Amino acid sequence: MTDAGSGPIRPAAMREAPAVLLLLGFLPSVVVAVRVVDALWMAAGVLLVSIGSAVARSLLDWSSGSPGASTVGQTARWLRALVVSSLLTAAFEAALLAVAPAASAALGIYAPLVAVNLLAVGTDAASPRPLRAALGALHKGAWYAAGLVVVAFAREVLGAGTITLFPAGGFGGTIVVSALLDQPVRALGLAGGGLLCMGYLAAAVRAVSARKTGRST
Amino acid sequence: MSWAAIVFTFALVDNVVLSRLLGLPAAGQPGARPTPADHAADDPSIPDSLTSARSLPPGGREGARAAAVPAWWLGASMTVLMSISAVGAWLVNAWVLAPLGFTILRTPVMVFLVAGLALALQALARRVVPSMANRPEVSVPRLGVNCVALGLVLVTTRAEYGPLQSLLAGAAAGAGYYLVSAMMGAIRERLDIEQVPPALRGLPLQLITAGLMAYAFMAFDRAFLARLLGA
Repeated sequence: MTDAGSGPIRPAAMREAPAVLLLLGFLPSVVVAVRVVDALWMAAGVLLVSIGSAVARSLLDWSSGSPGASTVGQTARWLRALVVSSLLTAAFEAALLAVAPAASAALGIYAPLVAVNLLAVGTDAASPRPLRAALGALHKGAWYAAGLVVVAFAREVLGAGTITLFPAGGFGGTIVVSALLDQPVRALGLAGGGLLCMGYLAAAVRAVSARKTGRST
Repeated sequence: MSWAAIVFTFALVDNVVLSRLLGLPAAGQPGARPTPADHAADDPSIPDSLTSARSLPPGGREGARAAAVPAWWLGASMTVLMSISAVGAWLVNAWVLAPLGFTILRTPVMVFLVAGLALALQALARRVVPSMANRPEVSVPRLGVNCVALGLVLVTTRAEYGPLQSLLAGAAAGAGYYLVSAMMGAIRERLDIEQVPPALRGLPLQLITAGLMAYAFMAFDRAFLARLLGA
């Protein structure tokens, strides 16, 4: 494998907008984004693995005496990201199974796929400073998480007429949207519904971006 | 599960693209056929209304076809990779991880298994079909770390399939991936010459198309197939 062939996966269609990159990165996660609570668990996993991976890579750079990773080849960077993110994903899986077995069952095979999803988003060099690396990963992961929660919110509200969150105190964990409860669009809860939501979300992001660009010029 | 049921399940009912959403072939995955929209996306000077006519590469549409990656190559790569990955995963899981009680390490081991097999397959392809394997857009290692192969491996491992069942599931999933890839490519080519709102052009329209195709694939219901096969 050459260095040129081992970098982040960013084909032509992904260059359309940064949002598109994130959209394709979390495509598999959309299957489990049927309820807001499942999306929140998935988002937590993505954030933890993303931040942990960035900090670990930053510390590895620092300990190997090549801060900034400019001297590390793309292949080595890619393999290192694969090692770190897959180990952190395994730790997240184990923690989720111990803390919330129901959520672990709901996420199924999609929790382990976090390791690969993050590679699609990018394996760029981490900042030489761990704190800065963590903040960078938090920024990237937050967009990913926000997108996932937005898709889940739209699918659950329109597809089931509910918003499922964490139960706390007297709150049972489910908010009922009475106007949609009787006649929900159940098809949105299926995999095709996730793709439709993502398609319209991507179009909305692009339309807003185009409008902003038009205003600034 | 019978052999026929495995084939129909992994190729149609639980299609890796449309049902499990483990990848989207025509939405910028490596190996996707370049279309005028891809070239237009890089040129902001081209008005939206003219992109389909003015953004063709040298040689026009025929030139784009000649430069395109054959869909069969992508489908064949994925089928071979998924088949050997599924069998390899069974071997590693049944002979190493389960006996030693290291199932907690299943995710990192499977990630490296798929990536390693993808690298080996790439090396082999470079010797056998160098003209195709040396094209960066169809890099097998890139395909290997996509969610499709890893997702299939996780599915077959968790379902505790045997070696032959895993092989068949991998081959069927690859065939399903190729089927959807070819269908989406054909639809995309037609959509590229149609007038669509600028915000929907490209990826959003592909996602919506895939969503509608996913609904269409729901016709391949398990009960329907069971009756068809007389199971």
